[in-house]
Amino acid sequence: MWNELLYAFEAVATLPNFLAMFAGIWGGVIIGAIPGMTGTMAVTLALPFTFYLPPVTSILLLVALYKGSTYGGSISAILIKTPGTASAACTVLDGYPLARAGKGGKALNMALVSSCIGDFISNISLFFLAMPLAMFALRVGPPEFFMLMAFSLTIVASISGRSLVLGIISACLGLLLATVGEDIYGSYRFALSEDMKSGLGMVPVLIGLFALPELIKMVVFRPEENNAALKLGDNRLTLSEFRGSIKSICRGSLIGVILGAIPGIGPSTAAFFSYSEARRTSKNGDKFGEGELEGVAASESANNGACGATMIPLMALGVPGDVITGVMLGAFMIHGLTPGPLLFQNNIGEVYALFIGILFSSVFLFIAGKVTANAFTKISRIPQTLLLPCILILCVYGIYSIGASPFDVTVLLVMGVVGFIMMLLNIPAAPFLIAFILGPMFEDNMRRSLAISRGDLGVFFQSWISWGFFVLTVLFVTLTIRREWKKWREKRAAATASAS
Amino acid sequence: MNQNRDFYAGLLATAFFAIVLFVLIPIYVKVPSFIPGFAPPPDMWPRVVAIIGLVMGILAVILAFPKMREASRNQVTSLGTRIMSHKTLIVRFAAVLVVFAAFVIGMPIVGFVPATILMLGVLFIMTGNFERKFWMIGLTVIFPVLLYLLFTEVTHTPFPEGTLFF
Repeated sequence: MWNELLYAFEAVATLPNFLAMFAGIWGGVIIGAIPGMTGTMAVTLALPFTFYLPPVTSILLLVALYKGSTYGGSISAILIKTPGTASAACTVLDGYPLARAGKGGKALNMALVSSCIGDFISNISLFFLAMPLAMFALRVGPPEFFMLMAFSLTIVASISGRSLVLGIISACLGLLLATVGEDIYGSYRFALSEDMKSGLGMVPVLIGLFALPELIKMVVFRPEENNAALKLGDNRLTLSEFRGSIKSICRGSLIGVILGAIPGIGPSTAAFFSYSEARRTSKNGDKFGEGELEGVAASESANNGACGATMIPLMALGVPGDVITGVMLGAFMIHGLTPGPLLFQNNIGEVYALFIGILFSSVFLFIAGKVTANAFTKISRIPQTLLLPCILILCVYGIYSIGASPFDVTVLLVMGVVGFIMMLLNIPAAPFLIAFILGPMFEDNMRRSLAISRGDLGVFFQSWISWGFFVLTVLFVTLTIRREWKKWREKRAAATASAS
Repeated sequence: MNQNRDFYAGLLATAFFAIVLFVLIPIYVKVPSFIPGFAPPPDMWPRVVAIIGLVMGILAVILAFPKMREASRNQVTSLGTRIMSHKTLIVRFAAVLVVFAAFVIGMPIVGFVPATILMLGVLFIMTGNFERKFWMIGLTVIFPVLLYLLFTEVTHTPFPEGTLFF
């Protein structure tokens, strides 16, 4: 094994490989930072170029693009409240308030450090745990998925802010909008027009909900502060701030690795799951959503932690977990490598070379991220009256380019108006976001499980994984009800005391 | 102020989820005549969500009502009075809606680039801040053209050219 590793190291440590990884990471970071341009787009666009490259260089380029774009999404999420990619949507919740408070540079640095650590832990897992994790991932079927989604949805209770009732209303709106379009059995729901048959795109909905209300608010209320640029403040991340978030970073990375290894989950869900766990366990949990560095660390470590892990089922079993790894499967096949258990027998040299190359990519991510983030922080110096209208136009172009569909642009604008009305009525947007992302997975897996079991609810309690998530869900719901009841009683007692 | 907002949020949610439950689901969620095995029908989940939303909307109204009654002892403000006192803000919001609608309707006619130039220009004017006039004029023209070039060159996106000129 050590001989093979040494040969693999020699094969990877070449200038073309390093250049490919560096170009991939940098290109990915820039593409990810542009709203509407996704990692899938970056990998697909780069695929034709890989025809002329050696197999290992090609795969390294594509993996680097994937990782770069996942991190890049956080830059626009933090600085302009526009998640560049869906997996960065969770970073908006704390990243943007930090930028508004003059700590944009700090938030970007925390996002970069946690992304690199998440990425590194993910790569190490790919190296040592590919087979056992792939076997674990195979045990996760629709019932286990359903229980996991149910538990993830309980985070709504902790991010509802002032009113749990309004938080649940927001989540219901998200769940309902997620049902628009064709369901798993081919029935159309709420297809009010021909375009709505294919559902509402995740990116237009998310960007519309978060980026546009700021612009509408500025046009309607014209606050004086918008004439000034945001203050960047102190950019440096202190050791104590890093220490305060290290637990969330490690936990987020592990969550990313485990959820990333399960086909069909991906970085977005991992980010929300990690955020909710950090929110539940942190001593600063109450400050989450108002600009807490630990929140940025939790979501960024998880989404980048999931990146390397999505390669686990692909390489170990030949099962692509999402669209990007699907494109990568094509790249493997084009270069004569067949992912699956035989890959580890027939092409062990290439496999080790890939593992080592992917480990290097974490270092490149740090360098490229640092340089790009520094360049992007200049955005904060632009006055809001110039910046916000330009962001809208950037979003319009980015959204249109995803599917060349005017309907997506309409969805973006309508969601902007909906987001503004929600802002006026104090309805929190975060529960909507989580419900919209997790809702389809929750429903599909519930319906699949019931279809498999012919309606027997016992299907949800057949494995220890399901039981584990069920117990956690019940525990958390009970604690939330208890907390709300106590809050209500305290308020009532205070009101009675003031009346008397 | 908050209790008023909670009340209106609850009212709006109740109305919205009631419309979804009693009007939209029966019309726009078709249940197929044959469902294989025990696959729950397609309207099951939207119904569950709409019912929860409706209950929560009513609950928000009920919870806000005593607080509103308490607040109204000090100051009585009807919805009509509140709207009239914020007339300028409402006009501005309506103007934003008109700009967005005009963009969606006009874009296939005048073309993507001219439509985005017009929208950006109008939005700059609507910000009400003219300290950086030259930046605004420059950005209005250059920024959409640059984005057009970026997206056509990199992603080969076919932007609508508009029926008016072709």
